[in-house]
Amino acid sequence: MEAGNPLLDDYVLEATGRERPRVCFLPSASGDADHYVVRFYRAFGADRCEPSHISLFRREQGPDDMRAHLLSQDLIYVGGGSVISLLGVWRAHGIDAILREAWRAGVVLCGLSAGSLCWFAEAVTGFHGTPRRIGGLGLLPFSNCVHYEREGDRRTAYRRLLAEGMAGGYAAEDGAALHFLGAELHRVVASRRAARGYRLDAVGERVVEMQIATTFLGERLAPVSPLPEVLSTAIAA
Amino acid sequence: MDPLPAKPRRVGSRAARRIIAFGGHELGGNPHDRAVRDLLLDAAARRAGEAATREPGPPRICLLPTASGDPVEQCARFHGAFADRGCEVSDLSLFRLTRRPVALRDLLLSQDLIYVGGGSLVNLLAIWEAHDVGAMLRLAWQQGIVLGGQSAGAMCWFEAGVTKSWGPSTATAGLGYLPGALCVHYHGEPDRRAAFLAAVGRGMPGGYGLDDHAALIWEGERLAEALSLREGAGAYSVAVRDGEVVETALAARPVRLVETLPEADEIAELRQVLRIRPRLVRRA
Repeated sequence: MEAGNPLLDDYVLEATGRERPRVCFLPSASGDADHYVVRFYRAFGADRCEPSHISLFRREQGPDDMRAHLLSQDLIYVGGGSVISLLGVWRAHGIDAILREAWRAGVVLCGLSAGSLCWFAEAVTGFHGTPRRIGGLGLLPFSNCVHYEREGDRRTAYRRLLAEGMAGGYAAEDGAALHFLGAELHRVVASRRAARGYRLDAVGERVVEMQIATTFLGERLAPVSPLPEVLSTAIAA
Repeated sequence: MDPLPAKPRRVGSRAARRIIAFGGHELGGNPHDRAVRDLLLDAAARRAGEAATREPGPPRICLLPTASGDPVEQCARFHGAFADRGCEVSDLSLFRLTRRPVALRDLLLSQDLIYVGGGSLVNLLAIWEAHDVGAMLRLAWQQGIVLGGQSAGAMCWFEAGVTKSWGPSTATAGLGYLPGALCVHYHGEPDRRAAFLAAVGRGMPGGYGLDDHAALIWEGERLAEALSLREGAGAYSVAVRDGEVVETALAARPVRLVETLPEADEIAELRQVLRIRPRLVRRA
């Protein structure tokens, strides 16, 4: 749902292997913000998928049986916001258990920012004040750090937390996506040319960072429908 | 030197703990909503005046809109209602990142009044627990900071409440600072009242029913007063007596809006504009 850049949206839809996948949006991390729900329906239009969303603040409006609805999806998209609030609300409504079940049943799970952190055993959250370490759903037995931009305080914080004993894991810059099959990293893709994913581990007292080869999705599409140079530059920006 | 401090510092005595629970209201322009606003302003000013540990300054009021997911509109309405009322207004979002990082605890403990908006009681409590806000609010209460709120923001302080967080009216546990259960929108939402009475009949602790624009004022764990801020807005106690669920109307003190100075100022301003206008017209 990047503004003006559908590459990652196209990628997650394609990952379902369905022609018109059923996609459910969970905007819980944003407090079910209306504008976010609208953005989802714009990015995931009914012309190429079957979109729906679940609001945990307006239960009377959503599907009666949330479990059946979520298990019938091909893709579940979790929006960004506060991962701490997200996990709290999910627990209260039993969504955490349903998502675990959906994952085992083969539903593709995805999300950005808080919607990425939530799947991992541990995560770096920088919501109010200093970035700190929190536990996630633990589907992926690693740690995760998002918005891993150069000069950013998340970068420094992640390294510090790893040195303090946090499990090794993966970081992603804005525009980069970590694609896992089961609990194994399958590949890293990006909607921006310069965006990368990283693997980080503490080795003794040192933290070792490895840049992961990242496929720029704009380029990948090039052979299929060649983009004029100007347009591809615009997407990369 | 005396090893003991000459005078122990009082960080809010037990009697100073205050909670104002409202059965439901908006913060709009009608006289009942404005009476609610004035009640909150008075409570905040009173606390600001008596807190020994507080720096001097205008009363500070903070909105926690957690129960409805921190919608921008609710924050805007709150700020609008308390703007130009001689207090410092803020809001705390547990969903949206503000431009500057906030130390939750410091922000909450620097208030005179913390007001909790309505929404989903279940989500409210789950999110507070995740952020450890419940413990901070208890500390705020013990320090004499006034806690208040409407609907979910009122029920949360009690042992239990009747929520529609899952759709149908269901009894659920609250933070339990105050004894008993609370049911809000009491006569406005008959299914909620029915669910409350049924739950009490099945063994849920009894407690209180509050109509929209009715309020309960608590001092510590003691109910100090029931208020009615609108004609017909009532407060009720609900208890089991001899195996029967009994509902009793509480004697609620009527509170009506007192038109305050700003409104009078506006009239004066209007008169002035009317005096100037003919001159402007002539000049044109």
